Amino acid sequence: MKTSLTSNNYLLEEKVSFYKKILNQVPDLIFQLTISPENNFYFSYINKNVISFFEVNEFELHSNPIDIINSRLHPEDKNLFFDSLQSSKKKLQPWDCEFRVVLKNKGIHWFKVVGSVELDADKNTVFYCNLSNISSVKNRELKVQESETRYQFALEASKKGIWDYNVKTGKVYFSKESLDILQLDEMDNITSNTQWDERIHPDDLEDYLLNIQAHIDNKTLFFENTKRVLAKDGTYRWVLSRGKIIERDAKGNPLRIIGTHSDVTSNKEKEQELLHNLDIIIEQNNRLLNFAHIVSHNLRSHTGNFKMLLNMMDEPDDELNQEECLGYLKTTSNALSDTIDHLKELVDIHTTIIHKKEDLNLGLFLNHTLEVLSKEIRDNKVTIVNKIGEKDTIKFNPAYLESLFLNFTTNAIKYSHPERIPEISYSSRRENGKVILMIQDNGLGINLEKHGEKLFGMYKTFHKNDDARGIGLFITKNQIESMGGSIQVESKVNVGTTFKINFNEEV
Amino acid sequence: MKKFNTIFVVDDDLVYHFIIKKLFSKCNIDVRTKYFFNGLEAIDELKDKVQTDNVPDLILLDINMPVYDGWQFLEEFKKLKKTISKEITVYLVSSSNDISDLNKSKEYQDEVKKYYYKPMTQEDFETIFV
Repeated sequence: MKTSLTSNNYLLEEKVSFYKKILNQVPDLIFQLTISPENNFYFSYINKNVISFFEVNEFELHSNPIDIINSRLHPEDKNLFFDSLQSSKKKLQPWDCEFRVVLKNKGIHWFKVVGSVELDADKNTVFYCNLSNISSVKNRELKVQESETRYQFALEASKKGIWDYNVKTGKVYFSKESLDILQLDEMDNITSNTQWDERIHPDDLEDYLLNIQAHIDNKTLFFENTKRVLAKDGTYRWVLSRGKIIERDAKGNPLRIIGTHSDVTSNKEKEQELLHNLDIIIEQNNRLLNFAHIVSHNLRSHTGNFKMLLNMMDEPDDELNQEECLGYLKTTSNALSDTIDHLKELVDIHTTIIHKKEDLNLGLFLNHTLEVLSKEIRDNKVTIVNKIGEKDTIKFNPAYLESLFLNFTTNAIKYSHPERIPEISYSSRRENGKVILMIQDNGLGINLEKHGEKLFGMYKTFHKNDDARGIGLFITKNQIESMGGSIQVESKVNVGTTFKINFNEEV
Repeated sequence: MKKFNTIFVVDDDLVYHFIIKKLFSKCNIDVRTKYFFNGLEAIDELKDKVQTDNVPDLILLDINMPVYDGWQFLEEFKKLKKTISKEITVYLVSSSNDISDLNKSKEYQDEVKKYYYKPMTQEDFETIFV
């Protein structure tokens, strides 16, 4: 028996030695931890890899295992480590824990321990454990998490939305920020490309599609487009979209496009305000130049005349007739005061900040003008054609509208064709909600190639009429412009002239 | 020898006509003058005179005038000039000291010899005529 026992022991020892050798060959970090009922720790087995990886020296091997563990665990992970160990011990359930260790030479490493647990005959708790170094996985995971956080923050801080378009299915993921721009949320269920595109302002759609196509055709590195998109409250928001095709099929057709949305409404509004202000400045500047021009031409000629006439009277010669000189002085003085009156009128038009504006019915005002001019109309046998829409009402200064009708009507009569019965036709229509007035005559016409530039200038006349002063059209044009409108002219010599007046309701 | 014999004065200002007349008499300049109130009248007359080769030597031309202004006169004059053998001197006489007018006058440097500011003085007349 003894022999067989010995031989059994021998066999067992041989087996143990075999497993130990095998265990020492495997690259894994393997150890056996035993915890006594008194809560004392023993490493019943530690393979070479554990000893070498955790930099455990000969001296330490004989010290308390808790000290070894404590000295290597990351301070922040100590509680986690021991809590999970105790919990596993208590429930006798497998131990599983991820933790950091701090090694003298190797620095910080992430480890995952997995162990099975059982009670032996002496009520010791025994853990059979395998350690794996998960540092690289863990670091990658942390980096991804960190960059995700950073990315999320960047999106939130910049108020940028994200969209992800699957070209094949037409489905789009819109992030919360994207939907926020249009006051939409998940409940609105905006999940397809068409749902987004149909909210785009019709005027901006063509450009948008062109920009996308250019990127699909590889003409642009990125897709970029700014357009108006309809928000839930019925207003349009300016949205800047940027995107890039990140996947194409073998034929080069796009499969997936990802991009951002940003709300640039306030920028756009500021930009438009700036452009509007620029227009005003240019207009004001032109008026100033025009004013300087008038001063240079008209005022200076009168003062020059005064100077010369007075010089002559100062040094009279035999032939000089004082009476005659006085007469010319008077003429010059009258002309000067006329010019000053006209200039004052011009300045008044443009400096009165609040123009009196009322809702005026075009037809009513025309009838009033025709009554005022009834004698001239009768004497010149003028045919009046009134095609003004009954409901065409404009916001305009009543005095200006009256002078407008008077001016165009008297001009049409003054410059009627001698061989024809004068006919003046008035009509109106609406274009984009704005009223346009047309006044057409069959008179002498103006050669616009020759006179076009100076047609609306001050003191410009084009016909050999003695009573032409060249002030009416100039003042009328300025009045229309001061109300935010504009005027255009078409004319043909010996055929007639058409004036087209665009009223601006909004200003 | 007199520099100029026949002169066209083209200006819509009657007072200016009077002043020019007086300056001629004051400076004892004996020339034939013809007065026009706008550019078209002057160019029409010039076209007539071309037939008889009886064109003026000098034209005093205002810029700001009704019907045809000075520039429009110059445009027509440019075409007409090629058909005239006699040399015609053109002086612009304007009250405008506007830079845009001065620059524009340079576009007509083949036609316009000099730019005078109004009012014309006795000294101006002496340099022109004596």
